[in-house]
Amino acid sequence: MLTLLKLAFRNIFRFKRRTIITFCSVSVGLALLIITVCLMNGIDKQSIGNIINCQTSHLKIFKTGYFAKKDEVPMNLTISDPDRICALIKNIPGVAAVEGRVLFGAGLIMGMDELPCLGVAIQPGLDPGLFNIKESLSAGEWLEPGDAKLLVGKNLAHDIGLSVGDTVTLRMITSPDKEDFSWNALELEVKGIFESGNPTVDSGQVFIPLARAQEALAMPSAVTEIAVRLDSDDENKIAAVQRKIQEALKPGKEGLEVYTWKDLAGLFLVISEMKTKRSAMIILIMLVIASMGIINTMMMAVLERTREIGMLAALGMKKWEIMKLFIFEGGFIGIIGSLTGCVLGGLAGWYLQVHGWSLASMGESIKKMSAAVYPVKDVFYAEVSVDVLIMVFLFGTAISILASVYPAWKAARLDPVEALRHI
Amino acid sequence: MSLVKLQNVTKVYRTDGIAFPALDDISLSVEAGEFLSIAGPSGSGKTTALNLIGCLDKPTGGAIFLDDVDIGAGNSSELANIRRHKIGFIFQTFNLVPILTAFENVELPLILKGDMGKAERRALVEEILVDVGLKELMNRRPSRMSGGQQQRVAAARALVKKPRLILADEPTANLDSKTGEEVLDLMLQLNRKSGVTFIFSTHDKMVMDYARRLILLKDGRIAADEQREPRRQARDNGAAGSGGPHVDAS
Ligand SMILES: Nc1ncnc2c1ncn2[C@@H]1O[C@H](COP(=O)(O)OP(=O)(O)OP(=O)(O)O)[C@@H](O)[C@H]1O
Ligand SMILES: [Mg+2]
Repeated sequence: MLTLLKLAFRNIFRFKRRTIITFCSVSVGLALLIITVCLMNGIDKQSIGNIINCQTSHLKIFKTGYFAKKDEVPMNLTISDPDRICALIKNIPGVAAVEGRVLFGAGLIMGMDELPCLGVAIQPGLDPGLFNIKESLSAGEWLEPGDAKLLVGKNLAHDIGLSVGDTVTLRMITSPDKEDFSWNALELEVKGIFESGNPTVDSGQVFIPLARAQEALAMPSAVTEIAVRLDSDDENKIAAVQRKIQEALKPGKEGLEVYTWKDLAGLFLVISEMKTKRSAMIILIMLVIASMGIINTMMMAVLERTREIGMLAALGMKKWEIMKLFIFEGGFIGIIGSLTGCVLGGLAGWYLQVHGWSLASMGESIKKMSAAVYPVKDVFYAEVSVDVLIMVFLFGTAISILASVYPAWKAARLDPVEALRHI
Repeated sequence: MSLVKLQNVTKVYRTDGIAFPALDDISLSVEAGEFLSIAGPSGSGKTTALNLIGCLDKPTGGAIFLDDVDIGAGNSSELANIRRHKIGFIFQTFNLVPILTAFENVELPLILKGDMGKAERRALVEEILVDVGLKELMNRRPSRMSGGQQQRVAAARALVKKPRLILADEPTANLDSKTGEEVLDLMLQLNRKSGVTFIFSTHDKMVMDYARRLILLKDGRIAADEQREPRRQARDNGAAGSGGPHVDAS
């Protein structure tokens, strides 16, 4: 066994150029694979972060029935005593912050232009404990609870031509039902412009103080949702706290439901799923490329060493020993190639984790396209994990060994007499 | 009891549906310790005969016995075992493993046999390399050795596992006549020293002169089988270097 390994190991240095080419195709292929996977994981992580930090928080509580209709932003399914519910939830271990909010359909009117948008009424004192809008102000200032002012997303402000200090009309749709369509309008000053990095928020949302919205919408002290932030992003913990809140709310009695960010980020997760399928395709292609290289190299090796195989058979080497010899040889190329690929891919991934990959250099249209798909600004950060490196290493090695099986079988099958006659 | 026995052996090659009898009704027996040459013109069936005796191939008809065991009954793994334990090969083109040193090439059959520790193997390989006069070159690879040196390594490799039989197919054909004679001297000394049976093929008159028994093949048949007084004797300086071969004349 040891001898076969030794022999196989030395054999890989026999035809240096060919070995190097195979070795490079394996390692470059795997390095690209690692970069792709790490970038995708990083983008997912960034996207999830952006969704949680700007839109969903970890958990949201709605009136029963609201969730199913949430895209219509219904105003008749509200939580009427949010303060009591908030107090109840705050005591649950793991909960870091709680905020009652009102979401409402709105239009932003500037002269003759009106742009539809989502109005988010927040409690300026609590909101920064759950969301990152305050941190992402790019101009102006954060709201005060009594302000008759609003914050506008950067893209939205750009599209309609607003800057800090301008006054704008906010048309608030109080009842989105077709039969009972009614609205109210507020004159508000733009107090700040934010750029959260989440395109949905930056190009479609405005923020106003909660009290102002409740008054204008004629729903004093009611909210449409209660957002809950936990002290950890961990999925299991989120699920555990969700259960505890459900218990605390005594299902049915309060008429409230609890949803996780995953429930709320439905579309994004569908896209993420699609990306996983696409990366499976990429992996498949890498697999084919790497294994073709190895099959080719090993077939050449068998051909060139035909007489030697005959000689080894004459010395009494058995078929499966000859087979092992070639499988080990392919395996060695695979192991070294995979190791190098992991180091290269890991380093490149690490660079992209620290410095990011900017879409700025790729032109406006690509930027717009990616913004339509990912809730991420135009710099993608990779996420390197040891799991991915180990998986890719094992994958590369396994492929190399599998790819060597056929050439090795060819070698083992040779008739010693014919092999020895081979010139 | 004969070491090798062929009974009415035929070997028919079939190419494109045309049958060609390379060996036709060969019967012979070889006793342990013989130094035998199979001679004959090109295409007479020498290689075919050696391959059959060497368990590399099976006859189309007849039977071959090695130590009274019918090798026609063995499967490929059993034949590999026979080769591994009982038979050494020397090839016309040396056929050393280019990535192994002389030492490692000679060690290979012992590793395949698998019944020896590392130290024991080392001692044996070094001893045999002294016998063939290549102790100094044992860490060289074949590419840095002359043809004669390579063939001596091949002889050492064939002999090291102390086989019952060494088969050499035109062992001198790729060597100049002087080097060829050195290799033959070496083979003869090894035959005398250890009593191992040699069967070698050749179509060279000079080489035939070394044989104690000469079998002449012609068109796949035995044309002559004669015991003979060897015309040439092993010369003591032979192939050996400073260590010299340790030969006791018998
Ligand atoms: N695999 C094969 N298929 C078909 N014919 C073969 C095969 N091997 C050998 N032969 C034929 O059988 C005959 C005997 O071949 P063999 O190699 O035994 O001769 P040889 O005496 O060793 O000749 P040489 O001195 O050229 O080595 C030759 O005519 C050869 O063409
Ligand atoms: Mg021949």
